[in-house]
Amino acid sequence: MMAGLRAAIWAEAVKLAGSTVGRVGSAAIVIGISVISASMLLAAATTTDPQLLAKLGPVAAGDWRGFLLGAVQITGAGGLGGFAVILAWMFGREFGDGTIAGLFALSVRRTTIALAKLIVYLAWATAMSLLLAIVLALVGTLAGLGPIGTGTLEALARQAALGVMSVAITLPVAWAATLARSVLGGVSVAIALVVVAQVSVLAGLGGWMPLAAPALWAISLGTTVSPLQLSLLIPFGAIFVVLITQSWRRMQLDR
Amino acid sequence: MTAALALEQATRTFRNGSGIFDVDLELTSGQIVALVGLNGAGKSTLMRVLLGMLRPQSGRALLNGDDLDSAPMSAWARVGHLVEYPLAYGELTARRNLELSARLRGVADVTAAIDRVITEFALEQYADRRARALSLGNRQRVGVAAALQHDPSTIVLDEPTNALDPAGVIRLRESLLRRAADGAAILVSSHHLDEVARIADRIVVMNAGRLIGNLAPDTPEIEHAFFEVVRAHDEKRDEERGEKVGS
Repeated sequence: MMAGLRAAIWAEAVKLAGSTVGRVGSAAIVIGISVISASMLLAAATTTDPQLLAKLGPVAAGDWRGFLLGAVQITGAGGLGGFAVILAWMFGREFGDGTIAGLFALSVRRTTIALAKLIVYLAWATAMSLLLAIVLALVGTLAGLGPIGTGTLEALARQAALGVMSVAITLPVAWAATLARSVLGGVSVAIALVVVAQVSVLAGLGGWMPLAAPALWAISLGTTVSPLQLSLLIPFGAIFVVLITQSWRRMQLDR
Repeated sequence: MTAALALEQATRTFRNGSGIFDVDLELTSGQIVALVGLNGAGKSTLMRVLLGMLRPQSGRALLNGDDLDSAPMSAWARVGHLVEYPLAYGELTARRNLELSARLRGVADVTAAIDRVITEFALEQYADRRARALSLGNRQRVGVAAALQHDPSTIVLDEPTNALDPAGVIRLRESLLRRAADGAAILVSSHHLDEVARIADRIVVMNAGRLIGNLAPDTPEIEHAFFEVVRAHDEKRDEERGEKVGS
């Protein structure tokens, strides 16, 4: 089992690292979110238009707090979408490329292969989240927001944690890509997840809605969502890990 | 002797009524079985059931005498297969793809296995190219190499000569003959009768989801003989249908 899992993790890591989707996705998440956050900061610093300043929300303050609040808002929707697309590709491409037939009749179980995909995804998403926090710290420093104090460090930690928690939220995408046997099936659910997360925030569902809890937690500086509400992400994620691995175990190439 | 892979009265149908029906087939050590049939005869479905990609609705699929569901996973390390698409990821080089297949089959000395199979299938000049950049034929060569590099004792190849150039076909033929001589149990499907007649110990004819007879590999005018068997089966089915409608 362990040797099989090691081999499968290696295979998934090599595929993700070698793919254009993996590279473009990584760059889009880290550079994209940093550039948008930096542009908002630049706009706040250079404009006197009250309407634009109002639109920039917290970023208009031109300090670390506002800058990182802007970044978590973008990450809450854009980062979530970006992660989900990569996950949809990792699962759906096996069907689109026809490689799924080659993943049968091996000494490594298909559940192990699915688990390896999820482990590689978690590792990649964690690395991207940490990298994004580091790049944001650099951007803020270069923009002259001043020294990084305890409050800023906490905000950067929340920024990274938001990324990691997004992993649990996106898991339905892997299941959808498996059931639909396509990347597109997963991407459709990714879009739906982003919409549902946003709408449930607007509808005031708040922290009890796992899809919205991490973003609300980060945006409210950790005040409006309780640890218990955040911990719901664990059963939410676990349910989907079981659904995904079971679908891979029972899979038949009947379509 | 226990068959390496076997189907016993295996039936697997699809909603549109196609599928395989009551199929009995045994692959035994040292023997090359060729599965021939027209497009849509059920060859790929048979191979999918044999490899666990489809579960039979009735009957059994067996690996070394065990039902596929209960067979030890380690037994699959000795199986090599290529059904439909080669396990070749476009973004990876041919060599990396071979490494991936070898690792997923628990090969102990991965580098040595890859080097051997690259020489066997003359893939030297393509080894460091991405699979996406390879011609269909060379990609197929990589797929065949991936299926055979771990020296499997059981080999299942669906239309392996598809897109292969004549040099590739000869290399595959020699490889399969050598592996059968070393004791491998082999099933190959094809619609090139002359091609399989050269290497097969047994040619099994499939039509409308059923195994309908055998052809001796040395049958003169083997294509003619094949069509006769298929035509006779089609006529028999027509008669049976007519009787059903009439009764």
